[in-house]
Amino acid sequence: MNISVIGLGKMGLLHAAIVNSLPDANVTSVCEKDLFLSSAARAVLPKNITVYRDVKKMIPEERPDAVFVTTPIDTHVSIVEDLLKTETNLSVFVEKPLAVSHEQARIACELASRSRGAHMVGFQKRYSPVFQKAQELLKEAVDAPLFFRAYCLSSDVLREGSAWRSKKGSGGVLLDSAPHLLDILIWFFGEPTSVMAVKKHVYSHEVEDYVHAILSFESGLQGHVDACWSVSNYRLPEFLLEIHGRNGMLTVTDDFVKFTPGKQTGGNGGGQTYHRQSFHTPVPFLLTDPEYTLEDTAFLDAIRTRTTPETNFVQAAKVNALIDRILENAEQGGHKSR
Amino acid sequence: MKTLLIGDNSFIGVSHLSQERARERTERLDVKSIVEIIETAVSCGATGYTFSTHPVNLQILSALQDSGKIESTFGLYPVLPYAQGYVRLANEKGMRGLVDETLSRLSLLDRTKAIFDSGISALRLDPLGVMKTYLDMELKSYLNAKTRNARLRSVLLHEVITDLCLGLRDAHLLDAFAQHIREKYHASPGFVTYNIVRFVELFRKAGLTTNDVVIMAPFNSVGYQMSPSKHSCEACLPSLSESNVIAMSIMAGGYLKLDEAIDYIRTLPNLSGIAVGVSSKEHARNTFTRLRDGVLGRTDTGASQAGQRKI
Repeated sequence: MNISVIGLGKMGLLHAAIVNSLPDANVTSVCEKDLFLSSAARAVLPKNITVYRDVKKMIPEERPDAVFVTTPIDTHVSIVEDLLKTETNLSVFVEKPLAVSHEQARIACELASRSRGAHMVGFQKRYSPVFQKAQELLKEAVDAPLFFRAYCLSSDVLREGSAWRSKKGSGGVLLDSAPHLLDILIWFFGEPTSVMAVKKHVYSHEVEDYVHAILSFESGLQGHVDACWSVSNYRLPEFLLEIHGRNGMLTVTDDFVKFTPGKQTGGNGGGQTYHRQSFHTPVPFLLTDPEYTLEDTAFLDAIRTRTTPETNFVQAAKVNALIDRILENAEQGGHKSR
Repeated sequence: MKTLLIGDNSFIGVSHLSQERARERTERLDVKSIVEIIETAVSCGATGYTFSTHPVNLQILSALQDSGKIESTFGLYPVLPYAQGYVRLANEKGMRGLVDETLSRLSLLDRTKAIFDSGISALRLDPLGVMKTYLDMELKSYLNAKTRNARLRSVLLHEVITDLCLGLRDAHLLDAFAQHIREKYHASPGFVTYNIVRFVELFRKAGLTTNDVVIMAPFNSVGYQMSPSKHSCEACLPSLSESNVIAMSIMAGGYLKLDEAIDYIRTLPNLSGIAVGVSSKEHARNTFTRLRDGVLGRTDTGASQAGQRKI
């Protein structure tokens, strides 16, 4: 299988290396619009990988089986349009989130619905054994979640940024840092029925640095989310989801999932913790975390078996819909909206 | 086995068990207490320090120099680049901004090279030259700060870069790094990797020697970070004739107990050393005493102590 990668940022390099290491897959071309970065890529990458600056030139010349789109968020959908209008049945992987808005995401979904290729968005936490165990425990142990609190915090923006992440229409903490958390909430609980939110600028002028949102669900479940990329002392972005139910509390982070049974249900309050290390997740090639290899493997498998991968464009569009609702509500002053 | 290294994860806020724990430790540990931890570890058998080019390590190396308690046999094993620092810069300024800033730092380092006035030309004409100048820049301040007695045993490439090259099957860059470290620093080139089997395969396929190369890779009883499998990584060890493999993550990032780690490590052939992190003087005393008594010398295969010349 011949693979092309569009966009040579850190996620482009990561996917290129992983997918190139998987059986029967070869990265044969990459596309980087920036003259400087494409020159660097030409100088450094192995000679069997052709470097382009124009997607419209690369696709007809290379005729890849699949393409990874790892460019800034505001370019995702226009690239998907170019790709699927040129090669209707091309398989396309897009780094998360799918689009800058739900309206844009729907354009990508519409194009994908007319294609026989596989179309996937990089919500790799769904492939993490920790989150898979959390979902299992949520069903089996928690019983009727009552409320939750969740956050994603990082020290990524501690001064005004100059990259696309800090530009209106392509960035902000909700689009850049919160999609994983919102995707997990939708995966666990479905789409919320109502949203109330506030947002704040700390360092960025064009985009929000902090968002607080209260989400309500059909089941009666409520919870709140805090997303901020301007807190001090977070070497890595951190993620926490704490779910309280009739039978106890479930705590989920990137590193572990813990279920603490309630004493009234016969538990001793001690709880059980499942660390990342306790899950046996060998992968053929490991770069940072195994979930990246597992999601790329799932994408290639979906292409081979002509099945729909997890997470497909339609699932990913729900995250964009929720981001839009939160931001719209925050703009309106945080009044409850459906 | 001859080498027992102190790792710096606890000192720079890395924990594979929980980020909260990592933050708590960095708040608790100042440079003075870190130096005391290192000195305690050394008194209990530690033979060297492996560290990333995180700014706090500049202060640690300077403080070690001032304390004057480091013996001439103490080895330094810097790992570079400090990947998380670059990820943050890329998030803030974009990939192009990251490269621009790095090249401008290179220009400041070496003003005689007008070639850096045009980064594109520099990369086109001599990409490996740019890489070497970058390595020199990254290492320079750490080598200046190091204690006079300590010896540079190896310079290691961070696993993110090593494994990117492995995934792209790019032996050329790895070889260029190795040659530069040998020629300029008279030290062993080193590579941190989660994919030791693939590393050895790529090196051999490219006709490169692993004899004087330090390979730092995870080895633990639960197979954490051991790709493609625990069994394959273990099976790779006997095939390395003059092993310079240093096992890391022997407690799977704090998940396993030290006794479990020692029992497992004692079953492995051809290891030249272990790297392990500690977060207090008591922790250092307990860990390094037990490692010294439990594993040091036990599986010594007579591996060459390459790259020990003092620079």
